[in-house]
Amino acid sequence: MSNGQNFEENERERKVRRKIFYLIFGTLALISGGFLIWKLSILILPIIVGALLAFLFRPVKDRFRVRWLPHELQVLCSFALIGLVLFFAFNTLRKHIPDEEQKLEFKVRLKYKLNERYRQLVAKSPEGKSNAVTPLIEKQAGPLMDKINQALELNPEERSLFLKYAAGYNGKPPIQSKFVDYFRANQNTGEYVIPEKTPTSTASPTTLAVPAPAQPPAAEEGTNLESKISAWILTPLIFLFLGFDNGQIRRFFISLVPNRYFELSLTVLDELDDAIGRYLRGTLLECFLVGLTLTLGLVLLGIPVGIAVAIGVVSGLLNAIPFLGTVIALVIGVGYALIAENVTPLIPGLNPNDLALYVLILVVIVHVLDDVVFQPFVLGSAANVHPLVVVIAIISGSLIMGLWGMLFAIPTVVVVKTAVATFFKELKDYRII
Amino acid sequence: MSARKFAADKLLWETLGRWKRSSPELDRIQFLKTVPFFDRLSNRQLKTVSDIMFERTYDTDELVFEEGQPGAALFLILDGKIAIEICRETSTTHLAVLERGAFFGEMALLDDTPRSANARALEPTRTLALYRNDLNGLMHRYARTACQIYRSLASMIGDRLRSTNELVQMKISTDTARLE
Repeated sequence: MSNGQNFEENERERKVRRKIFYLIFGTLALISGGFLIWKLSILILPIIVGALLAFLFRPVKDRFRVRWLPHELQVLCSFALIGLVLFFAFNTLRKHIPDEEQKLEFKVRLKYKLNERYRQLVAKSPEGKSNAVTPLIEKQAGPLMDKINQALELNPEERSLFLKYAAGYNGKPPIQSKFVDYFRANQNTGEYVIPEKTPTSTASPTTLAVPAPAQPPAAEEGTNLESKISAWILTPLIFLFLGFDNGQIRRFFISLVPNRYFELSLTVLDELDDAIGRYLRGTLLECFLVGLTLTLGLVLLGIPVGIAVAIGVVSGLLNAIPFLGTVIALVIGVGYALIAENVTPLIPGLNPNDLALYVLILVVIVHVLDDVVFQPFVLGSAANVHPLVVVIAIISGSLIMGLWGMLFAIPTVVVVKTAVATFFKELKDYRII
Repeated sequence: MSARKFAADKLLWETLGRWKRSSPELDRIQFLKTVPFFDRLSNRQLKTVSDIMFERTYDTDELVFEEGQPGAALFLILDGKIAIEICRETSTTHLAVLERGAFFGEMALLDDTPRSANARALEPTRTLALYRNDLNGLMHRYARTACQIYRSLASMIGDRLRSTNELVQMKISTDTARLE
């Protein structure tokens, strides 16, 4: 056998060996990766959030360039800048987060005002006549009101705490007397729907009591909370270390790619990075614009600036969840409008008693603005996802990871859609398929 | 300074110097200095360029890129030989054989127009690849460095255009003479 034939034979054997090695290595990597994901599922969300934040803030880091400063120092400076902005933002926001006393006061006000509005709605005329719609409203909304009242009911501890605050407690001035009146009125609020007595409701002495659902032991709950908190410590670390990365991670993954796919993988990664970055930053900007518009609108309707900003921030952030974001904004906005007192709209001619209606109109206007102006302007066609896919993705997201799942559902769909589309296009361009 | 401290310092600096001299990064910068494409860049600028380059190793007969594929990167030969060839149904035309220090696929730095020829390794070859979008990114971060590279690219394309013009001129004058 000649040297050339020997060489070819060796090469062929090497190729077979290489294929077997890659196959075994890939299978092992998949199995161990799956096992780790299953075991360390608690870490997935903090890692995703950290990576996402690093990805979102990369342009800030890239923009902050001082030629004579080492890369690490530049990154630290840009992070310090981001940290400073976030610190001031949170500090401003923190002032408007209600404390214990305000929470109790809010519950009392909400319950009182909701009942007051409901009673006004179903009130009979002075002659004792009611219109045709009233019984229908009573039938439909009565049980709902009962449930709301149950949810807003203060438990004995909260009641005694409220009474303490009413007299001035913990170095705080006494609660306004009208709220104490509300509290007393709430105590007398009865049920709107009188429950029918059914045979099952009168339990016979022989009936076995249904055991209460088992409560998790307090120690176990504490450990869970601790492990969750310690998992979230990963988020800033991931954010920081990905921020320090100067292309090494990309370089590492590209070094694993076979030569044949080298240029292809560079192009695909780059296009993906570009498309996903545009979508995520666009969404962030869109959320900011929605939050800002809503805040401005609420301020014009006479709602105090602090409250308007708080509602704007929450609604803006939740706007990332299509459909549901608007509903939540509506619930928060109208909820506040129902309990708001002494509101003077900045727009002349508006009746403060109809604030809830104006908030409803405002949320609808903001939603339309978002659909017609913000989304096409900021996102373009990046988020071109079929509404049915959106609904299915949100429901699936909520089933898998709750609120976080809903928040990440659409970005995940967009990322997968872009990845698949780009990958197939480039595979065809490079004549691989 | 005591003699012992002086000796320790000397030893440290010598070790550092040796380490620095033999570091692959320094070798790469030294190599880049010899490439006409980067001859206008300072050491610091070369370090920046070196940081964004990818090192790839090719086996004998392995394709670096194929004719018709969209171009994405410029390749510099660190070691080995690369043949630039055009394959047709019946024959393969070798246009050039490139060796250490040569570069190819430079048009990919401008746009993603398809490659005009195949590039095949004739022996085990190491290359450095400069990706187009990384060079574009350099434009935002180190504009002077990127401008100097683009200038080199422009002058090289200008040279090629001039030689192509000369060839066309020669061809035209030959054809005219033949007609007369």
